Amino acid sequence: MFEHQLFLNAVLSGLLLGGFYASVSIGLTISFGQLNIVNIAHPAFVIVGSYAAYTANSGLGLDPIVSGILFMPVFFAGGAVFYRVYHVCFEARGDDPLRGLAFFFGIMFVIEVLLIIAYGVDYRLVEAAYIGETVGYGAITLPLRMVAPFLAALILTFGIQLFLSKTFTGRAIMAVAQDQIAVQLMAINPTYIKQIAFGIAIMTASLAGALLIVIGPVEPSMGRQYIGRVFAIAVLGGMGSIPGTLVAALILGVAESLTATFYGPSWAPAVSFGLLLGALALRPQGLFGR
Amino acid sequence: MAGYGAARVLHGVTVHLEQGETVVLLGANGNGKSTLINCLMGLVRPSQGTILLEVNGVSQELTGLSTESIVDMGIALVPEGRRLFPNLTVRENLLLGAYRLAARPARAKNLEFCFHAFPALADRQKQLAGSMSGGEQQMVAIARAFMSAPKILVVDEPSVGLSPIMVKQVISKIDELKVAHGLTVLMAEQNFNQAIRIADRGYVMVQGQVAFEGMDAAELRDNDFVRKAYLGV
Ligand SMILES: Nc1ncnc2c1ncn2[C@@H]1O[C@H](COP(=O)(O)OP(=O)(O)OP(=O)(O)O)[C@@H](O)[C@H]1O
Ligand SMILES: [Mg+2]
Repeated sequence: MFEHQLFLNAVLSGLLLGGFYASVSIGLTISFGQLNIVNIAHPAFVIVGSYAAYTANSGLGLDPIVSGILFMPVFFAGGAVFYRVYHVCFEARGDDPLRGLAFFFGIMFVIEVLLIIAYGVDYRLVEAAYIGETVGYGAITLPLRMVAPFLAALILTFGIQLFLSKTFTGRAIMAVAQDQIAVQLMAINPTYIKQIAFGIAIMTASLAGALLIVIGPVEPSMGRQYIGRVFAIAVLGGMGSIPGTLVAALILGVAESLTATFYGPSWAPAVSFGLLLGALALRPQGLFGR
Repeated sequence: MAGYGAARVLHGVTVHLEQGETVVLLGANGNGKSTLINCLMGLVRPSQGTILLEVNGVSQELTGLSTESIVDMGIALVPEGRRLFPNLTVRENLLLGAYRLAARPARAKNLEFCFHAFPALADRQKQLAGSMSGGEQQMVAIARAFMSAPKILVVDEPSVGLSPIMVKQVISKIDELKVAHGLTVLMAEQNFNQAIRIADRGYVMVQGQVAFEGMDAAELRDNDFVRKAYLGV
């Protein structure tokens, strides 16, 4: 009986965690899966989102999730500018992707150092009425600091999916990496579209970062823990598929939660990569790969 | 004049196209048909020469414009090798055709027309373009170009890889679209007999030059040079 409840609770908290993972991974699904840009710095941008929410929360008393949404346009603009730099310095020159990877690796460290200079190395956290509360039914109790990010992440995921599948710009984003010349033949400027897409990818980091700091305290180099996870989820989801990303994130969340509950938290990272390797052996194109 | 790097491919080619005409570019492999078309579309930059588009009596130079802006002016290309977006559905491919602002308002109507003209596509809207047969893919490519509501439709060798029956169908469809929507068509094609079926005029290209200009289909058919090159007589 006790085992049963433990199991059920672990699955439910895994789903909540997985939903949050989707919000962290969706930006990489766009940049890496759809644009072929190996943005290894994506989790670092998520941490910037955390600190933006922290600053608005501690300074102005703003709700962290609301500020995560309010900062989205700023992140979008930053991402768009960032893509321009990447495009001019690497993409347009046709340099090999490895140098682009080195570029993003560098960006990751620069972001970390800047955050340390600005905020120090200590953990920071936010305050909101729902943090510390739980909802429950019978033996099941779920902390609101997990439920709220889960719901916000779901809305983000559905919103992005709707945008990509129903708008002209969204369809252009899905097409842009498939055939550069064909895209131009559709009267689409590929650089412009990639710039918008990359802006959107970074925009999601604003909300994901806010969700991260709602779930728990954040320090500047914490993004590193997420690099493995987000790449695992993006690949597992089928490189570029938003529904795939959500499903892969939920699977990973549940797997990690079960592992942590029954074997101890230190095994959780091994689970991400174990799942990734296993899935790739069985289904190289990922779950929702086309 | 145009080429790729040091390789000169086109040497002093002059081709013109009147509104409402179907003009074919004939010529065997490697004679520069695609290179000429790619110059027109801004995909290859000519080293010398100009490309002019006359709209309402006003001449505009296309030379040097980006491919996007050329397409945006109402010139659509069905490229060699089709170049569909293989991981998108047929419907998504067609809607991408309607990306340009001028084509968006009429997208529902044009989509309906496409499915009417190519009934095979209507049942396969949700299928990934990459999983279609060669003939179906060619239909999607033509329909996608049509979705941009062009004034000029440029088609580069629609017959490649298709069965004789399919070639006949595809060429007829191009003519149907042209007639129904008052298009101007420029088509590169090696299949001489099928091409001249719908052509008003034609050019024969040999080694990057226009070797013969036929003012009508009969003239192309009866010309000694063309007969030798194509009909082996
Ligand atoms: N991207 C390229 N780089 C270098 N040379 C090229 C390139 N594309 C074409 N060529 C060369 O230009 C010449 C003309 O090619 P083009 O594709 O224009 O011929 P074509 O008449 O369209 O032939 P086909 O009927 O086989 O399509 C050929 O000698 C070809 O090798
Ligand atoms: Mg060719």
